[in-house]
Amino acid sequence: MRIKPATLLRHGILIAFSAAILLPLLWVLRVSLTDKLTAYKIPPEIGHLSFDNFIEVFTRFDFSLWFANSFGIALATTAISLPAATMMAYAAARYRTGGAPLLVTVLASQMLPPIVLVLPLFLLVTTMVPIGGRAAITLAHVAVNLPFMAWMMVSFFEGETKQLEEAARAEGATRWQAFRLITVPVAMPGILAAGLLGFILSWNEFLYALILSTSKSQTLSVGLASMETQAGVNIAPLAAATLLGLAPVLILLPFLQKYLIKGLSLGALK
Amino acid sequence: MASIELRSVSKAYDGGVHAVRDIDLSIADGEFMIFLGPSGCGKSTTLRMIAGLETATAGDILIGGERVNDLDPAKRDISIVFQNYALFPHMSVRKNLSFGLRLKGTPRAEIERRIGHVSKMMGIDELLDRRPSQLSGGQRQRVALGRALVREPQAFLLDEPLSNLDAKLRAVMRTELIKLHQRLGTTMVHVTHDQVEAMTMGERICIMKDGEVVQVGAPLEVYTNPADTFVAGFLATPSMNLMPARLEADGDGLAIHLAAGTIAVPEPFRAAYAPYAGQAIIAGMRPEDFHEKPAEAGPFGQLVETTIETVEALGPETILTLSQPGGTAFAARVSAAGTSRAGDKIRLTYDAGKLHLFDPRTTKRIARPLSV
Repeated sequence: MRIKPATLLRHGILIAFSAAILLPLLWVLRVSLTDKLTAYKIPPEIGHLSFDNFIEVFTRFDFSLWFANSFGIALATTAISLPAATMMAYAAARYRTGGAPLLVTVLASQMLPPIVLVLPLFLLVTTMVPIGGRAAITLAHVAVNLPFMAWMMVSFFEGETKQLEEAARAEGATRWQAFRLITVPVAMPGILAAGLLGFILSWNEFLYALILSTSKSQTLSVGLASMETQAGVNIAPLAAATLLGLAPVLILLPFLQKYLIKGLSLGALK
Repeated sequence: MASIELRSVSKAYDGGVHAVRDIDLSIADGEFMIFLGPSGCGKSTTLRMIAGLETATAGDILIGGERVNDLDPAKRDISIVFQNYALFPHMSVRKNLSFGLRLKGTPRAEIERRIGHVSKMMGIDELLDRRPSQLSGGQRQRVALGRALVREPQAFLLDEPLSNLDAKLRAVMRTELIKLHQRLGTTMVHVTHDQVEAMTMGERICIMKDGEVVQVGAPLEVYTNPADTFVAGFLATPSMNLMPARLEADGDGLAIHLAAGTIAVPEPFRAAYAPYAGQAIIAGMRPEDFHEKPAEAGPFGQLVETTIETVEALGPETILTLSQPGGTAFAARVSAAGTSRAGDKIRLTYDAGKLHLFDPRTTKRIARPLSV
């Protein structure tokens, strides 16, 4: 079978991009399984493989604490922002609350460099909750994620769900009942996708967590950064910790993809 | 059951655009009323205002004699069936049917009894545990109707419920809806742009155009006496031939001068049409009022000679397009037996007793004695 040049080119480009994404991850995997000395060797050497680094992460560093902090904060952020974002998106879609300017503003806020928001967020958050606690980081994450999640969900509440809601209201449901019993369940895949994305955003967030945390409330991303010390980089344990930190995201991604597609095809159901 | 009354109801949008303007209409208790009109004429908006899904910007809406303008749709005790059925996709058919009753807190035994009754009546008792996505278009339609029926509301509002079905199924559902109405005797308001549905289903038709009511009446009454050229051209297929003409005095009588020839105005109409003598008018002639046998055309039959442009054999009947030198072609509906072919000369007899004249300035029908 002859392969067409166009196909070859297409696959060539895709392979190059895949390699660009996969190689660093494979590099990290290799480093996490070797010792400090072989880690930096070029060309890369596999050498003696062991899980020592993964054990060291838990014994020498506070990995469990960081992981627990990240997980708790991401979960709390999602739990708070998802219901609020759902209602905000619903209001924007159904009642044109704020109109187009509100939605554009929400989108624009996502385009600001995060560093711009650090100072105002710091001041705002510290007036509400004690500085350095997990609550402070959660609050900052809610402030950043909620508008984005709401913006993402607006389209899920347009089209089909509107008519279903009208049917429900004619059947005797109040607006709230129609929202709760019809709109939310029907838009659930989209809502779940937004929730998962919110969780992942909070899990990966570094800047606000760095500014607002103490050693007790450090998240994983901040913790990983702290492994690069003035005394040198603990490259092998860092690689191991990075991989462990990726795990929840890797587990959630397939679900995110599934729900996102379902959510986006909401309008297609009859 | 209840009557529905609209008093000077209008719906205007922010930009000052009127979707519906000043509608007065009363629908009797138990009546089957059709809202007919082209898309964008305001018929669906009117229905949605009755349902409470849109608010009227002026006027009063009464259901069962009670003003419901400010009443939530939930409290109006009406059911609405949508064009795309709007079945709740995350619920089984059973849950869809019982939704309204569950909200009202109807006892479970009563819900079961009603679902059993309605699902049998609609032939969906085998489908109760399925999801809407597992149903065919016709089945969804039945479930949507069943959901409306099961609550035993005061009135049914049907928003083009048949237009997503294929032609055969549509005909079946049309008959079923008529039967359903006969059995239940509940007030029904049915919105459609299909004039066949309108003619066959309704006890009365309300024809709308550009947000206003043009004519309200029984199907045959609207067919035989269209209020203006819009109604004349909208009902029946092929629709009434509307041809520009002149009305002239002709000795003692009156004659209509068409591009194709002259038609004498029957004596009983003369007095009514006399004031328009010497003026341009629009002559309305239904295709079915042209006959091949002169005897079928009644006492006012008049010969028309012309050439056939096209022949559409539909089976039970044949539609001829006839040329009119210097004017627009017109249609005639004749029996299927004919052997006419395009290009042939043909002699037809027109029943001038069914002639309508319209004023070209107002497009309104010029009144004449109703029957001759």
